[in-house]
Amino acid sequence: MNEEIAFLTVTALAIVRALPVTVVLALTSALGASAVAVALVAAQATRVGRPLAQVWIFVFRGTPLLLQLFMVYYGLAAVGPIRHGLLWPLFRDPLFCAFAAMTCCCSAYIAEVLRAAWQAIPPGQVEAAQACGMSRWTRVRRVIAPQMLRLALPAYGNELVMLIKSTSLASTITVLDVTGVAQTLIAHSYRTLEVFCLAAAVYLGLTAGLTALLRRIERNLERGTGR
Amino acid sequence: MIRAGVLALALLAGACHGAARSGDDLVIGTEGAYPPWNFTRADGTLAGFEPDYLRDLCARLHRPCRMVAMDWDGMIGALQTGKIDLIADAVQITPERAAVLAFGRPYAMTTGVIATLRGSALSRLADTGATLDVDRPGSLREGITDRLRKALAGKVVGVELSGAFDAFLTQTIGPGVTVRYYRTMGERDLDLLNGRIDATLEDESYIRPLLATRDGTALVMVGPRLVGGSLGRGEALAFRKGDTALRADFDRAIGASRADGTVHRLYLQWFRMDASPQ
Amino acid sequence: MMAADLSPLVLLGGGPDGWGPALLAAAMLTLAVAAAAMAIGTVLGAALTAALMSRRRWLARAAATYGLILRGVPELLVVLLLYFGAPGLLASLAALMGSPAPGSPPAFLTGCLAIGLVSAAYQAEVFRGGLLAVPPGQIEAAIAAGMGPFTRLRRIIAPQVLHRVLPPLGNIWQFNLKDSALVSITGLAELMRVSLVAAGSTRRPFLFFAAAMVLYLVLTSASSALFRLVETRGQRWAGGR
Repeated sequence: MNEEIAFLTVTALAIVRALPVTVVLALTSALGASAVAVALVAAQATRVGRPLAQVWIFVFRGTPLLLQLFMVYYGLAAVGPIRHGLLWPLFRDPLFCAFAAMTCCCSAYIAEVLRAAWQAIPPGQVEAAQACGMSRWTRVRRVIAPQMLRLALPAYGNELVMLIKSTSLASTITVLDVTGVAQTLIAHSYRTLEVFCLAAAVYLGLTAGLTALLRRIERNLERGTGR
Repeated sequence: MIRAGVLALALLAGACHGAARSGDDLVIGTEGAYPPWNFTRADGTLAGFEPDYLRDLCARLHRPCRMVAMDWDGMIGALQTGKIDLIADAVQITPERAAVLAFGRPYAMTTGVIATLRGSALSRLADTGATLDVDRPGSLREGITDRLRKALAGKVVGVELSGAFDAFLTQTIGPGVTVRYYRTMGERDLDLLNGRIDATLEDESYIRPLLATRDGTALVMVGPRLVGGSLGRGEALAFRKGDTALRADFDRAIGASRADGTVHRLYLQWFRMDASPQ
Repeated sequence: MMAADLSPLVLLGGGPDGWGPALLAAAMLTLAVAAAAMAIGTVLGAALTAALMSRRRWLARAAATYGLILRGVPELLVVLLLYFGAPGLLASLAALMGSPAPGSPPAFLTGCLAIGLVSAAYQAEVFRGGLLAVPPGQIEAAIAAGMGPFTRLRRIIAPQVLHRVLPPLGNIWQFNLKDSALVSITGLAELMRVSLVAAGSTRRPFLFFAAAMVLYLVLTSASSALFRLVETRGQRWAGGR
């Protein structure tokens, strides 16, 4: 019994030490993906950007993230301009590759969420804003963007939860995040159940925490609309 | 209705896959990613020293055998729970493994080597040509281990997850070196060739053929040969601890294959060297 | 092993050095894993929905907990947990019952079970949403009109639920298809795994991962086209809503 508790303590400590890696990857990827998603939605309003954005979304939503990770980590490293180029110090790092793949992948999903929210804005409001003489930028700032954010929030929150779970895939390209550390612990101790349950509990904590935070934000926004 | 049917079919397919394990045929676990011991051809079949050798051994035993490929870090578990009956994957005999597995008599003996990119920081590693025998204490071993530890300090070494070299790095070299774990040899090779890892520790029988490929000419073997301790002394078949009869059968077959020279022919064919155990 | 000299066409083709047939067979296996996982998810998901909407609070709570855990934990962990942990678990269960260890299940089974268990959690939510959207007044009227439960299901509930439920189920199918790549970790020779083995042994990762991406795109776009077709047909059946 004592030995079991000692093992669990050591395991828990090792996993918690890896938590910053997971959190940093999740935060940076969320920011990157959101930024790229906004660019994708904006691009879809232009004639040239539209097909490019659609191809991007098609490819990154139509293939598994795991495959994208391997492509970025191993595939690009075998390509001359990357391997011998200026960006190699970045692509050399597995964490950067995980960040890059996750940003590209999640941006496609978030872009679709934003687009759906944009299309859900009552057209009457946009027309009224135009009739009032608002410039395009003011329309976006005063009418479109706030509504889009409010409408997109539930689905966007879902995407963030999926993003946190997706960080565990970084372990497949040698990143020592929570899942990566869990796998090395199992390989060295053969105790599958305890280690994986501890790792699962950590992710559950992160996703449950995020979900609670999102619900709170949703409630605040609802209050603002007087509903 | 349709969905229930699909479910039933899927379960049946899965069960049949498992039920194909009738009493008599032996299931042999291997990686299929460790040439020249075992590798997967483009058409999906397994080839290499072990598929050929096990075919010969099973013929001597008059037992039908089937080789299945899986990753190393699932193999011992698969053996313990009966998914496979023995492991033929260049498994080195080590005390840790002997605690959970029953080894047959060794059927080959090769040493570990260190490989790195030509011209890299480690390409001028000391003690090239010497042997680091972990089991033989003395000033020679201490000297080599010390120099190796200093040279690897702060470097990134890639190894297969839960393989013998993984344990060697932790036990003999210690915490100063950064270890990267790979699930398959292929992934490790890619990172060795693109310079993400500074070196790898691997069996000579794997590195030699790799060096002979076009990509492999960029690599070079450096530093001492490694033997003993977690690297073991010789490769052997691994069985479940209670399976004494099966183990004895295979030991007899291995003896016969040595006596009539079959295994030596296979050594030369696949390793281009005599890998006889001492 | 001189794959570095071979052209991409040879490596992807059907000859002795060509991985083409292996990749196509692996794509079929990917479809099989996804289909089996979808089936498991639908059956279990329907059961979960029934439990969620049941009047027995313990049942509803248990189903809700299941959903929370399986939706909150990375799918990769579920796959790894089942693959590495199930054999030991089965052995202990068998020992408890006094029967010999059953031998661990094949990777295909643990893989599609893992994806199926997660899929069930999402499908349960979809079914629940679909059922809640049926106006209760219609069900009351159907009961008043003397319809038996099966007729109610067939005439009133099913058309409306199926119509509502099909788009999100199509989404879940796409996720199953992509999550099947996670089963590659267990060594099952599906598309992700075969492309990885090919990439490693030929040392041409870009080529094989690109080929795998193309094959996945074929699978996912064919699936979405198929679902769109079924949706438009379903719209007609449900009364053109």
